[in-house]
Amino acid sequence: MADHPGPSLERGTSVSCPRGPDGGIPRATMQTVCMASQLSPAVAANGLTKSYGPLEAVRGISFAIAPSECYGFLGRNGAGKTTTMKMIYCRIARTSGTLDVLGLDAAVSAREIKSRIGVVTQENALDQELTVMENLLVYGSFFGLRQAEAEKRARSLLAMMSLTGKERAKYKELSGGMRRRLVIARALVNEPELLVLDEPTTGLDPQARLMVWETLNGLRDRGLTLIITTHYMEEAARLCDRIAVMEEGRIFAEDTPAGLVQRFAAAEVLEVIAEPAHADALAQTEAFDGLVRRRERHGDVTYLYTDDNRALLARMAQAGLDSRRHVARVATLEDVFLNITGRGLGE
Amino acid sequence: MNPITALVGRNARLVFWRNFLAWQKYAVSSVAINIIDPFIYFLAIGLGLGAYVTLTGHGTLMQFIAPGMLGMAVMNAGTFDSCWGCFERLNFNGVYESMVTAPVDPLEIAAGEYLWQAFRAILYGTLFLAAVAAFGLIHSWWVLACPLVFALGGMAFAVPGFYVAMIVAIQEHLFFYFSFVVTPMLMVGGVFFPLDRMPAWVAAIGWCTPLYHAVAACRQLLVGAPTLQTGIDIAWLVVFTLAMMFVPRRVLRRKLGN
Repeated sequence: MADHPGPSLERGTSVSCPRGPDGGIPRATMQTVCMASQLSPAVAANGLTKSYGPLEAVRGISFAIAPSECYGFLGRNGAGKTTTMKMIYCRIARTSGTLDVLGLDAAVSAREIKSRIGVVTQENALDQELTVMENLLVYGSFFGLRQAEAEKRARSLLAMMSLTGKERAKYKELSGGMRRRLVIARALVNEPELLVLDEPTTGLDPQARLMVWETLNGLRDRGLTLIITTHYMEEAARLCDRIAVMEEGRIFAEDTPAGLVQRFAAAEVLEVIAEPAHADALAQTEAFDGLVRRRERHGDVTYLYTDDNRALLARMAQAGLDSRRHVARVATLEDVFLNITGRGLGE
Repeated sequence: MNPITALVGRNARLVFWRNFLAWQKYAVSSVAINIIDPFIYFLAIGLGLGAYVTLTGHGTLMQFIAPGMLGMAVMNAGTFDSCWGCFERLNFNGVYESMVTAPVDPLEIAAGEYLWQAFRAILYGTLFLAAVAAFGLIHSWWVLACPLVFALGGMAFAVPGFYVAMIVAIQEHLFFYFSFVVTPMLMVGGVFFPLDRMPAWVAAIGWCTPLYHAVAACRQLLVGAPTLQTGIDIAWLVVFTLAMMFVPRRVLRRKLGN
């Protein structure tokens, strides 16, 4: 991983991140990743853009995903994640830049790419007029599978997804979790080299989500390259080797989950709930220097990012600052995300 | 990818197979709906009104409208599902969206749909034909060639219907196509009455519709050997269908392509 200089630790909503000339992550980052894996990337994009008329959905992003890696696009709605995914699975054409999937140009070899990848789309994913088994057989047939072979694979995939016994069930009889598992099963019917999942757990209840996570972890362990989008921090932290945080069509930061926390938050965070006057005092005091790596303020809450909450609380007591109302916790990707994208709705 | 060569490709057959699997689940009601409608028209007009009316130079009303109703059955078979069905498969049921994540070209989806509509037209047309046979209205073994006309007619209606389903934004807009194109075709297609006493321009409009040629070809095959005119009707349907297949290319690219 390329080592970026850490961002400014002073308070403020804007953080700086070194950018390449195209506004994306510098090329050096990608090269480092690919050299480390000694293989050509599963997906490589450079200066990739997508415009819908005047609307720029993706504004020049560059990334390289290594084989067997689980790579996540994290961002809120409208950040450009789904558009990026659609370009990867050749559903829409790029406007400019380059995009190679499995070493093939997405603009030229869409059909071959589609035959070698698996796709789990966000919605509208299953054929609602067909049964579970028919969904798998029809879909498999488009990849040139003979009926017997497709049926064999379908049965083992249904077993793997805990859907055995549901072969003849209709779409309407399946729960949300079952539907999502079926879409994942269907995406695996052609034994893909790369699996693309657009928000695989959105709208699922906790049990169903856990089951999807287990499934994806299992696939990752088997060496399948995974690309997922999510706006769940927990999901990204659990599943992804590396994460690209997207905002307004750009990749704002790209790193391992731990690396992102290190760069954009700290090991721990102390949330101090304070009235404005007190909060101003927290913002001004110099006493924390060296202990507080980053400060954010939102409404009544001041977020003090530190590597040692206990020491910080002791220092606050020394300085005579009121810290009676606080939450001391470990920093998470959520903090990273909020620090990068701001705490407003951004709409 | 060429919309005509796509018709003979494997993926078109797989799209057909997919539609067949879905249709199986409601086949009985689908058959009933598609047969009962024209059959009631046939009884009401042929038997009911026919008891009072004879068409000068065209025999009994029943004999005249039987092929007209055949054409209508084929038109309905080829139009309804290509409009409503394809609209749903594009927008609601995730059918096409699933297909294009697999290595399937939108033109192959279209080709599969055309084949499927042709099958529906053959099925419903033939069932209706069997009902008509019971009234002693078939006078020639050439009637066995009718399914060919059904297939061509079904496709001739399926291609524009499919195109309309692809371009409309909301389902209700499909009614415009029915109200302003499909239903008026019944007036000028030689279904209920011959066009020889109509003003020339009405007959001219009629000649430009696929319904007119499907009905005319069926009418001839019910009573005897195909004539040169029948050959022209069939050729008209073939040329119209193949030419129309090039129309939806852009909208397919936009909605389902990459």
